Amino acid sequence: MRHFVIVGILVIALAVLTYVGLDSAGLMPVPASAQAGPIDWLWDLQVKAMSFLFSLIVVPMLYSLLVFRRKKGDTTDAVHVEGNTTLEVVWTVIPLVVVLGMAFVGAQNLGETRRADPDAMVVNVTGFQWGWSFEYPEYGITSKELYLPVNKQVLLKMTSRDVIHSFWVPEFRVKQDLVPGRITELRITPTLLGDTYKVRCSEICGTSHAYMENPVIVVEKVAFDAWVAEQQALAAEAGQTPEGRGLALVTANGCRGCHSIDGSPGVGPTWFRLAGSEVPLSGGGTVIADDAFLAESILQPQAKIVAGFEAQQMPAYNFTEEQVADIIAYIKTLK
Amino acid sequence: MKRKYTVGSGLLFLLIAGGVGYLIGLGLDALIMKNVRWTAPVPSAFSLLFAFTAFFFGVYGYRGITRGLVYQVVWTLIGGFIVTGIRVMMGLSVFGGFFFTEPAWVFGALVGAVAFLFGVGVMDDWVKWARGIDTPEFHEDEPGWEKFLGVSLDHKVIGIQYTVTALFLISVGGTFALIFRTELAASGLQFLNVGMNLFGQNGPQLYNTLMSLHGMIMIVSILLGIAGIINYAVPLLVGAHDMAFPRMNAFAYWVSVPAAVLLLMSLVLGGFDTGWTGYPPLSVKAPVGQQMFFLGVFIAGWSSILGALNVIATVVRMRARGMTAMRMPILVWASVATSIIALTATQLIGLSFQLVMFQRLFGMGFFDPAKGGNPVLFQHLFWFYSHPAVYVFVLPGLGVISELLPVFVRKPLFGYRWVAMSSLGIALVGFLVWAHHMFTSGMNEYLRVPFMYSTLLVAVPTGVKFFSWVATIWGGKIETPTPMLFVLGAIVVFLMGGLSGPPNATVSVDLHLHDTYFIVGHFHDTIFGGFVFPFFAAIYYWFPKATGRRMNEFWGKVHFWLMTPSFLILTFGMMRVGLLGMRRRIADYDPAQGFDTTHLILTIAAFAIALSVLIFLINFFHSIKHGEKAQGNVWNSRSPEWQVSSPMPAHNYETPFEVVGEPYDYGLPGSKYIDFVPAQGGKH
Amino acid sequence: MTHKQDKASMLNQGVFIFVYLAILTVLEFLVAASFNSTAVLIAVAFVKGALVVYYYMHVYKLNADHEGDHDSYEYKSGTNRLGLWLFLISDAFVFGGLLVMRMNLLGLTRPNLNQLLGLGVTSVLLISSFFMNRGETMIANGDRKGFLNNTLITFLLGLGFLIGVVFVEWRLAAHEGLTPSSGPAGAAFYMMTGMHAFHVLTGLVFLAIVWVNGRRGLYDDQHYPVEAAAVYWHFVDVVWIVFYPALYLVGTAIV
Repeated sequence: MRHFVIVGILVIALAVLTYVGLDSAGLMPVPASAQAGPIDWLWDLQVKAMSFLFSLIVVPMLYSLLVFRRKKGDTTDAVHVEGNTTLEVVWTVIPLVVVLGMAFVGAQNLGETRRADPDAMVVNVTGFQWGWSFEYPEYGITSKELYLPVNKQVLLKMTSRDVIHSFWVPEFRVKQDLVPGRITELRITPTLLGDTYKVRCSEICGTSHAYMENPVIVVEKVAFDAWVAEQQALAAEAGQTPEGRGLALVTANGCRGCHSIDGSPGVGPTWFRLAGSEVPLSGGGTVIADDAFLAESILQPQAKIVAGFEAQQMPAYNFTEEQVADIIAYIKTLK
Repeated sequence: MKRKYTVGSGLLFLLIAGGVGYLIGLGLDALIMKNVRWTAPVPSAFSLLFAFTAFFFGVYGYRGITRGLVYQVVWTLIGGFIVTGIRVMMGLSVFGGFFFTEPAWVFGALVGAVAFLFGVGVMDDWVKWARGIDTPEFHEDEPGWEKFLGVSLDHKVIGIQYTVTALFLISVGGTFALIFRTELAASGLQFLNVGMNLFGQNGPQLYNTLMSLHGMIMIVSILLGIAGIINYAVPLLVGAHDMAFPRMNAFAYWVSVPAAVLLLMSLVLGGFDTGWTGYPPLSVKAPVGQQMFFLGVFIAGWSSILGALNVIATVVRMRARGMTAMRMPILVWASVATSIIALTATQLIGLSFQLVMFQRLFGMGFFDPAKGGNPVLFQHLFWFYSHPAVYVFVLPGLGVISELLPVFVRKPLFGYRWVAMSSLGIALVGFLVWAHHMFTSGMNEYLRVPFMYSTLLVAVPTGVKFFSWVATIWGGKIETPTPMLFVLGAIVVFLMGGLSGPPNATVSVDLHLHDTYFIVGHFHDTIFGGFVFPFFAAIYYWFPKATGRRMNEFWGKVHFWLMTPSFLILTFGMMRVGLLGMRRRIADYDPAQGFDTTHLILTIAAFAIALSVLIFLINFFHSIKHGEKAQGNVWNSRSPEWQVSSPMPAHNYETPFEVVGEPYDYGLPGSKYIDFVPAQGGKH
Repeated sequence: MTHKQDKASMLNQGVFIFVYLAILTVLEFLVAASFNSTAVLIAVAFVKGALVVYYYMHVYKLNADHEGDHDSYEYKSGTNRLGLWLFLISDAFVFGGLLVMRMNLLGLTRPNLNQLLGLGVTSVLLISSFFMNRGETMIANGDRKGFLNNTLITFLLGLGFLIGVVFVEWRLAAHEGLTPSSGPAGAAFYMMTGMHAFHVLTGLVFLAIVWVNGRRGLYDDQHYPVEAAAVYWHFVDVVWIVFYPALYLVGTAIV
């Protein structure tokens, strides 16, 4: 009996200690969305349960190891105890009730994170290898940064252009895959201003998966409106010149995920000083990067492959003739 | 045959053939690409195949595994050239950056794998049977170590073959892990950078390939490892003279060798960047290495399926007299539970990979949305195996824990029936939980809550095991030699895995945890606790049975005390950064997230684990010849295999035994588990 | 239930079962052509499958004595039988997975296929099962000649089925625009029939082996290999009993 009392006290002590220790370590990132609230609450509940169960198993084990350890020279067996049906039933039924309860609470909790606001702002998200593009249909603008007004629910309607990606901002907690050929939805209500958040692709999507991170910026409503106006003005201005339209296309299609514009190495050849230069081809020979070559490389990327880039497969893009001309005009500005 | 072959000559042959293969590949590649590419895939592929084969030629001569590998290499080329020839006639592209085109590689690899089986000789008896020629029931093995490199029908030899192959693959997979763990030691790309190019892959791609292969090679090594334990122990525990189907048993082992070769081939043939899960559409776009990976897994799957079939048949049909279901050793129950899953569910991963292979080869749009396919369907088919698979991995290990605990606490296993049934419970519930890997996948949303319920239910039978173990230990007279240390370590580590599980099962919390390092930490805990620790425990425990010698106790303890804390640090650190926002499967991380220090510690811990495993390997191979002699009942166990002297004779028990009591009645004076009774008409 | 062992009544039983199977096949064909009820089609396929599993594959033999001399031919055959059934269970998961794939991609639509040809090859395979059952019954009763003749007929019918599917049906379908890469219907159709055809092919190899060895009198006393070949052959038939309605009958055809 004495053993049980000691172990009981130790179990509670270690459980409390473990929980306090884990809690003070700050396990989760800053909660920055309304959805983070219920999730962090449930997580905290589970940390409590974990701390208790951890002590419940480890304490009696270590206690037995120390106290009931075989004494030197003792060669006899221990007391013959085959089992105890009551105990077995107890530790089957109680966990059963607990996990069913946990599942019930979990379902409620999931419901809370999915609560829909009918006035939510819609943002169309497109994921691609390797970047993100955010379209605000209400304002007619497209950005590679996700600007969000604080305390306003946003409904992300997401799809992928190539492979599966996953939308995750750790501070917002919730996560949703982007599947080609269908639209998946995610609702987020940012609650904390900040400009250091990033949406990080969390489903492996190829070579530069690690770098598929775009900024997420949460601002006051006023600042958001200003940003929208600014973007609209910029878009209107850029639409005037071929280079501007080209840059918009390049941004919307994520070309720079593979092609650098400053000469640094990437998955695809850099665009820096590309136009007019002599390009070595896979399988020998060179070609001058004139308009015809650039257009061909955009529309039929596999036609001529630049030496050293054999393993990468650029998808073919369906641009109109004017769009191609705009993109080439933009590439020509990179000197 | 005279001992003119040695490891030294093997290594010499390896170097020579590796060089020759490299030059041939370099020449062929230069011929096709009109460019000398030193680090291209083709020279490496030829080098790998040639070197691997030549090593065994040097060690063993042209027979057994060497002949198999030669057949595999030759027939891979023949198969490739057949398809290439057909393509010439059809006017399609013939050669490319990977020498053969993709269909040619796939067909060649398949033909090569089949040819291996004929070459190694595991099909010989079956071919004779098909031709109506009778063969003797047993073939006598060569004495000494040479029997391990050729076909043997003895379940003990096959068990050791499995175990050693598993250890080899663990070392390969572990080396891959060390490479990318070093890369992760700091943010930014250290050596796997964009500028480098090896096997046709730049740094981040190579990172992805190594990471993906680490996953699958470890999975295959686990499957081989549990097959090793089960193969060695189960027939001994049930009192059979061998498995029910010895030839199929040998087949199941040998088929895993060409599978392993194919997995390694995927590294050099352009690699693949999908992770071990191989989700389309990404896996449809990856280089030809992806196909080698799929084919390798598909073939390794057959090893698992046929092995499982054999275990079930053995347990049902070959038990000693008097061994009723409730008197079977607990490891036998665990093996049956694991085999039920492996027998059935494995087909689904094979099928899902096969469908992607066909999508790549024939444009069949199963998972291509542009052709009316459904990418999420793949995930359902894939996880229908790949979740239960983790129970395949851990159930035998949990069985080892339950089997060994009573021996070292000198007390009966607490609640034998409950522990036995909990294995079956886990196996059956395990079939109903697969979609918890897909909470964020975009599958039908109403499926998420039922799968949360079913997933959490797994905690109940798992809890029964934990509580029963604690109750078994409670009040026992505990001894802690190395096997027991690993058993205790297994319980603690598996507990960490078990406790970090339920948060992933509750959908809302999983939305944060999914695809982060928290998951990585969680499953490494479950796999180490459920497989690696028990696997080591089993090796230390049954080593004297297999060799008649003990492994060194001191170095065993060093192994344990180095590995356990390092491992706990590793997984705690993984969970920590995962919670804070570290995604899975990334070659680099954002320095702004502040993970650099933790990752450095994790890398150091990983190297400490590697060092401990190295110590184990040296101890293992050294003790085979130089270990302390131990031919009796080393652990003072009641189990039947310890009642006869070690090493075990070729056909197991010379006198069959009858079960007359309970398996774990330690501390009950005068009780016996088995009696040896001379055969009365027939062997049993 | 008692299982009749004498040759005449076992042969009679084979005939009765075959008549049931034939009637049910015609029934499902008519159901599909008239009021096309998925539930009825599933029920019919289930009954047909159950009849084959019980009366042709003799699943009840798995219940045989687990005691006895472990080294007797009888006992070893029992172990082999268990092994074979375990293998079939495992294999059934492949076909189950294909069925799931088909339901997921196509739902209650199906590829537009030649109905008469479908009924034709289905009948050929069912008839081959009938002869397989006769062949097995005969060797079990020591009639080598009868076994050889019936197995040969089974083999030829199986070959006919294989040619019917792979060389006739595939060509017709491709001609109609249904190719492996044409869409989900094509992908499902070629994958399912292809996987099944591969099993038919292995079954034919198996049949050829037991026929050749049987001719040399290898199975006059100990005939388990014939039983194994027969059970495998019937299993391939059962798979087709499910795949036939799944591909040819259920739902509406995509034109």
